[in-house]
Amino acid sequence: MSATLKPYLTAVRHTLTAAMCLENFCSQVVERHNKPEVEVRTSKELLLTPVVISRNEKEKVLIESSINSIRISIAVKQADEIEKILCKKFMRFMMMRAENFIVLRRKPIEGYDISFLITNFHTEQMYKHKLVDFVIHFMEEIDKEISEMKLAMNARARIVSEEFLKHF
Amino acid sequence: MAKNTRSSAFRKIDVDQYSEDNYKEDEPDSGPTLGPDENEVNVLLQKGKLLDALRTVLVNAPVGVKNPQVKENALALALKVILSIKTSQIDDILNALDRELLDTLMKYVYKGFENPSEGSSGHLLLWHEKIYNIAGVGCIVRVLADRRRV
Repeated sequence: MSATLKPYLTAVRHTLTAAMCLENFCSQVVERHNKPEVEVRTSKELLLTPVVISRNEKEKVLIESSINSIRISIAVKQADEIEKILCKKFMRFMMMRAENFIVLRRKPIEGYDISFLITNFHTEQMYKHKLVDFVIHFMEEIDKEISEMKLAMNARARIVSEEFLKHF
Repeated sequence: MAKNTRSSAFRKIDVDQYSEDNYKEDEPDSGPTLGPDENEVNVLLQKGKLLDALRTVLVNAPVGVKNPQVKENALALALKVILSIKTSQIDDILNALDRELLDTLMKYVYKGFENPSEGSSGHLLLWHEKIYNIAGVGCIVRVLADRRRV
C-alpha cells in the first residue's frame, strides 16, 4: 500500500461514517412520494454541504449528503489511455448490472467514474459500518483490478503477436 | 375556445415557488466581513509565529460573507498557512487551538481538497487525520451541516 493511500481511505471512511446519518423523509412536494433528496434537490434545507476528498489531481471522492440519502462519486486513477479504456469498460459492465449491487447508481456524476447512491432504506436493511466497509473495499480493489487487467492484456497481446508472426 | 391546446409548456411551470411555507434561507449572522488581513498574516508567517498566523486566519474566516472574491482570498491565505506548517509541528498547534476553531480549520481542509495542487492533498490528509483524532466525528458532521461555509 503506497504512502498516501492509507490516509486517503481513512479520511474517506471517517467522512462516510459522519455523513451516513439518514432517516426516512417523504417528499415535501408530492403526496405519498419518497425520493432521495440528494437527487431531486427540491429544497436547500434538506441538503448538506458537499465535500471532496482528494489524493491527487486525478483521484478524488465527492460525498454529497442529504436528509435521506447520500451520494458518493469516485474518480479512479487513470495513468494512460489503456487504463482509461479499461476503467470505462469495467465501470460500464458494473453499472449495467446496477440492481445487483443495490447501492450502485446507474450513471456516474459528471467528472467522476462511478457513483453510489445510499438511501435510508439501505441503511435500515444493511449495517451502516458494513456499507462504509464496502465502499472502502471497492476503492481499494478497483486500482488493483485495473492494473491486473492491464498486465493480463499486455501478456495476451504479446502471445497473440508471437503466434501471428510465426507464419512469416 | 382557447388556442394552441396541444402546448404542454404549462407543465414546466414551477407552481411550488409561490407556496408560502417554502424554505427561505436565513440571513447569516454577520461575523467578520472582510476576512483575515493578508499583511498581518504574512508578517506572522515570516516571523515564524505559525500558531498566531493560523489563529488569525481562523478567527477572521469570512463565514457570513456572500462575496466569493473575499472567500477565495481567505481560502488561499488559509491554505498557505496550513501548508507551510511542518508535519512535526501539527500536533502542538492543534492542541493549542479551541474546538470552534478546529471546526473552521476542518472546513478549510475540506475546501483545500477541492483544488489539489502538487503534494497538497497528502499534507491535507495528514491534517484531516490529526484533527479527527482530537475533535472526532462531530467535527466532520459540523462541517457537513453548517450553513456558514468558508
